Amino acid sequence: MNQQEGYADDIVKGFVIWSMVWGLVAVLVGVFISFQIAFPQLNFPPYLTYGRLRPIHTNAGIFGWGIGSFMAFFIYITQRLTRTSLWSPGLAKAQLWLFNIVIALAAVTLAMGMNRSKEYAELEWPVASLVVVLWVIFAVNIVMTIVKRREEQMYISLWYILATLVGVAVLYLVNNAAIPVSLTKSYSAYAGANDANVQWWYGHNAVAMVLTTPPLAIFYYFLPKATGVPIYSHRMGVIAFWSLIFMYLWTGAHHLLWAPVPDWVQTLAMGFSVMLIAPSWAAVFNGYFSMNGQWHQMRENYLVKFLIFGITFYGLQTLQGPSQSIRTFSAFIHFTDWVPGHVHMGTLGWVSLVLFAAIYYTIPRLYHSEIYSIGLANVHFWLVLTGQLIFSITMWIAGVQQAAMLNATNPDGSLHYSFIETMVELYPYWHMRAVGGVIYLAGLLVFLYNIYQTIAGAKTQAVAQRA
Amino acid sequence: MDSASIYYLGVTLILFLIFVVIVVRTYSKKHAVRGEEPKFRMMDDDYPN
Ligand code: HEM
Repeated sequence: MNQQEGYADDIVKGFVIWSMVWGLVAVLVGVFISFQIAFPQLNFPPYLTYGRLRPIHTNAGIFGWGIGSFMAFFIYITQRLTRTSLWSPGLAKAQLWLFNIVIALAAVTLAMGMNRSKEYAELEWPVASLVVVLWVIFAVNIVMTIVKRREEQMYISLWYILATLVGVAVLYLVNNAAIPVSLTKSYSAYAGANDANVQWWYGHNAVAMVLTTPPLAIFYYFLPKATGVPIYSHRMGVIAFWSLIFMYLWTGAHHLLWAPVPDWVQTLAMGFSVMLIAPSWAAVFNGYFSMNGQWHQMRENYLVKFLIFGITFYGLQTLQGPSQSIRTFSAFIHFTDWVPGHVHMGTLGWVSLVLFAAIYYTIPRLYHSEIYSIGLANVHFWLVLTGQLIFSITMWIAGVQQAAMLNATNPDGSLHYSFIETMVELYPYWHMRAVGGVIYLAGLLVFLYNIYQTIAGAKTQAVAQRA
Repeated sequence: MDSASIYYLGVTLILFLIFVVIVVRTYSKKHAVRGEEPKFRMMDDDYPN
């Protein structure tokens, strides 16, 4: 525990560092699989094939980089907003070990081809059971810290944190219900269309409870900290929170439009998805209005740049998402490369930009030093922004072209192009995406170097002071 | 519509009503000042207490 400040911060350092390690793994594998798509001869069976590496990429990204840093910042933020030290630093230490063991096991089992075939819920039951233990340890520690808080009212970030803890627990347990037949194989407890429905109820709420509520908690905490000015409206934040929670749960079936699930379930999902624009944009406006009179900080304060671009991508994401949820639009872009364009604006743009800002803000404070180079932070910003935009925009164009080809018909009504013909046309876009990925990776390396130098500098300084 | 869908929509309606209560309470005059307090208090949370 950091005795001087009374908060258990050493554990935050551990989670931040390990999440960066897994983030690097995710991006390296991501870049590699983007090359495998562009150059199929780069597939080396059985382990280094696209099919094995793709889930390693998503698991390392969402669970290693995403959840790892959310754990760090939930611990950091909760202590401060409750003005209470962590309920059990010992438990948090065990959590860090278990977290790394789980992610490593996930990578190994997925590489060996053990996979439940459910997207974002690929891990077989022994590893999934460890995830449950991990989450319980984490949730108990955070909830108990909130219970013994010294601050009566809860700032909006704490609401988002609580929602994440409860939401992920419910989703994970329900969608992972399975009947094991051996140590490495299990079958889903649901069948057919029901299974698909449960899977996408889980899938889209993973977007809600992993890729939306935690970064919102972090955004609402670090934006005012970075600008030095409170957020525009706390009450608007609270209303947006409750409406987001109310609406998200019904939207999963927008992944199953035109699929054999009841029509009214699809319509309900479509309606709620469009309604989601309101709470999502309430958060975006809260961010923008908080900048009233502070917009000059976009030039002067690199943290603000990351945060405001991050929330802007969230805003774009939550306009694009509801459009994709409309039946006619979905019929056009579903099964095309449009979707990875959407996904990566969310993960690389929204989630990662906010996490970069939070790491830049906290690391110098945790190590009692200054950031090594603001210049490098700016280089990092422009590289990741450029890489992500190249990626997303290329995929949207590719998606529209592919959709148009898939929909083209001959005068007799038969399809003009076969599926494989649409794929052949996509090669130039896939090359471009790989270039975008390399630029993003370069930005990430600059970031990691900057953080490494900040920590190394702080340690040298501490030794010099002691001498 | 079968009973399952009516049940599904009924739950939706109940949640919606709870949501309306939250909105009315949050924006009531009584909670106007108190509802904004946390955003000021969080600005200075570097130390416990
Ligand atoms: C109002 C909010 C949103 C709505 C209504 C929405 C809607 C959708 C829809 C309809 C799809 C499926 C597209 C298809 O396959 O045809 C999708 C995919 C996806 N979205 Fe969003 N989206 C929203 C926000 C976000 C955000 C903020 C993220 C954050 C990263 C995100 C991440 C994803 C991911 C990862 C997938 C891919 C799922 C897959 O693997 O198939 N979305 N979204």
